[in-house]
This record gives sequence, C-alpha cells and structure tokens, in this order.
Amino acid sequence: MSTASKVLAELIDALRCLPGVGAKSAQRMAFHLLERDRDGGRRLAAALTAAMERIGHCRQCRTFSEEPVCALCAGAARDRHVLCVVESPSDLAAIEQATGYRGLYFVLLGRLSPLDGLGPDELGMDLLRRRLAEGEVQELIVATNPTVEGEATAHYLAQLARDAGVRATRLAHGVPLGGELEFIDRSTLAHAFGGRQALD
Amino acid sequence: MRIDQQPAYVLHARPYRETSLLLECLTRDHGRVGLVARGVRGERARLARAELEPFLPLALSWRMRGELGTLAGAEAAGAPQRLAGDALLAGLYLNELVVRLVARQDSHPELFGAYALALGRLAAGESLAWTLRRFERDLLDALGYGLLLDRQAEDETPLQPQADYVYLPEQGPQPWRGQPGPRVRGADLLALAADRMPDPEGLAALRRMMRAVIAAHLGGGELRAWRVLGEALRHR
Repeated sequence: MSTASKVLAELIDALRCLPGVGAKSAQRMAFHLLERDRDGGRRLAAALTAAMERIGHCRQCRTFSEEPVCALCAGAARDRHVLCVVESPSDLAAIEQATGYRGLYFVLLGRLSPLDGLGPDELGMDLLRRRLAEGEVQELIVATNPTVEGEATAHYLAQLARDAGVRATRLAHGVPLGGELEFIDRSTLAHAFGGRQALD
Repeated sequence: MRIDQQPAYVLHARPYRETSLLLECLTRDHGRVGLVARGVRGERARLARAELEPFLPLALSWRMRGELGTLAGAEAAGAPQRLAGDALLAGLYLNELVVRLVARQDSHPELFGAYALALGRLAAGESLAWTLRRFERDLLDALGYGLLLDRQAEDETPLQPQADYVYLPEQGPQPWRGQPGPRVRGADLLALAADRMPDPEGLAALRRMMRAVIAAHLGGGELRAWRVLGEALRHR
C-alpha cells in the first residue's frame, strides 16, 4: 500500500496480524483511530504493550496469567481435588460461565495432533503427570473437544490418570438441549444412542 | 472443474479464516486434494462440522480452482468406522503418512482401497502394528516405491528365510555382514510379501525397516507421529 506516511503504512501493516483483518479493514481501523479516536488508540497501544510484556502462562494450569500462578489456581475457594483438562483458555471461560464447577483447571493449549506438530511435550503433559503424582487430585475431568484429535487426547489423558491411580471422567456427548433428532448429525446421534442412560 | 459425489475421507482439518475449514482429503479418483469448506464453523453451519471429521466414509462434491478446491457438498457414504483408544492414535498415524508422502492431485486408485481396508482393520481391533505395516507396504506400492521383499538387491538371489539382511531404502535387502542399517530376517520380509503376520520380534524389525524407508522418502525427515504416538503408546 502506498501512503504519504511511512508510520501510517507501518500501522496498517501491523494491524493485519489480527485474525480476519485484511488490507482494507486495517486501513479503515488506522484511519478511524487517527481521525476520531486518538485516546482510544493510545489506550489500545498501552494495553497491547502491557499484555504482550506481562502476560505469560500460569505455572500450575498453563492458562494466560500475569502472575506466576493465576488467580484461579491461587484462590482458596476452589476444590483442589478435582482437575478439569481443557484444550484452550476459551474452553475454560465457557465452562466457568455455564457450569457451577468449583474445581481447578489444566489448559493444554492444543490437542494431540501429529499433523500440526502437537505432541505430549507441547501440551505440557509432563507438568500434568507431576501434578497427578502429587496425590492431591482425586478426579481428572477430561473436557477436550469431541473431535477425533480431542478423543485421541482424552485417551492419552485417561492413561496418565490410570498410571497415577486417579479417577478419570469424560464430559457426556449427546443430543443438544432443544434439538430435534431428525436434524442431528449421524455421529452425534450414534454416540448419544450408544451412551443412553436408564430413566429413574 | 466440478467433481461430484467422489468417495473420500478427510485426513486433517484446520481452521481457515473466521468460519471455514481447510481440509486435506484422500479421494478415490483424484488422490489427495485440499478443499476449503466455507462457513462450517459458525453457529448456523450449512454442513455439520461433525460430518467432516476424519475416518468417516464420505461422498464429497467440490469445484477445483488451482491448488485448492471449494467444497460444495458432503454426504455420508456408509456406516462410520469407530476408532477408539490406541486404534485412534494409529489412525492419526495413517493420516500423517498419507499427507506427508502423497502429493496433492496425484491419482493412486489402489491407495484409497488400501486406506479404507486399514481403517476397517483398526476399527475391528486387529493387530495395530501388523495393520500399519501392511498399509505402509501398500502405500509404497501405490506410489511406485514398492519394496523388494523376495530377492536380494544386488544379484536377484531369492531371500533365505533363516538369513539376516539389511534393508537399504533405495535398493532393497542386502545380506547382513555387520553393516549399519535396519536388520531384518529373510523370513519376516517374505512374510510381509505373502501377507502373513510375523512374530512380535519380526514385527518390531519390520517397523524399524519401514521407518528407515519412509524417512528416506521424506528426504531424511521424520513423521511427527513417530514422536507423538511413540510417547503416547510408551506410557502403558
């Protein structure tokens, strides 16, 4: 892109690192900040700098945190005997918002996927193994996604738990609430059918 | 070019743009193809994401443009093979093998059948190691890199079951005289040729041999699944 200002060109180019932002949107964002919202722009710059400099990973659960141990792991109010394993921080947020779960989390930041170059080392499995060996955790809740790779990861996690003598549980898969059987994909339906439960 | 109702399996899916997926697929008549599935990750996806998972027999329709195609439709083509546990890890290995060794849009008709057969064996709980070795053999055959399993590389002498050989990736079996390289018994090579399952020791030797051969075809690289799955299977 040819612009009169070199700094402006750099800003537009830098904005393109955001997902879903192409040249056109980047230009629109840059012009908006310069024309109408310089304060907003300064705040964004300061927040970005602070986040990029200070946010790392929690030493215990690997989620994003500016402290060595995140607030969830450090908090006294959580049940330390239950550990829920999720693929990403957004999965953690979803469970926090939707359920009354009071235990702790472990964030893999991915799933076992040879084609993406993700193996046990990248997913912090050693850290998890040590955590289970400490003996505090009594139940490992496996909340990886119900995809092929998520299932492979769940299988691996179940083995880890078994080696450590910890009980492993898996989120149920089934028919979504408010759904109609006729419109559900066949894999989900087959799974839900296979995992049917007794009516009490 | 529009292709309709082509038998296929998804090998790998990765997120692409906001709501799309980039699929690597193995198809019967068009080999490996890269397809963009638009709008399948949104709330109101036209195609269910679950229908585009690996290991499901599908009939895919797409429009080819340049290197990538655009998915136009996906339908179930047969009952799904349910892989679980170690068989699932082995299935991921099959997929990496195909993606890494097979070039896009090279047609290998026998490969599709061999892949479907291997999935069926994994789902049926047959020996993982033996299923993988048979598939590797058939994959190399389909790609025109077929293994030499019945005679020596240099002088065409038939292999002796009780003799030891070293398998040279680009050439074939050579009598073992202490030289480096994957060492394997003649009986195990002959068993692989005849599709007869060798004993555990033979299977382990064939695994080392296949790794050397596949590494050579990857230009000295290695499959990530060897590291990932090796470790996953070790903890048992």
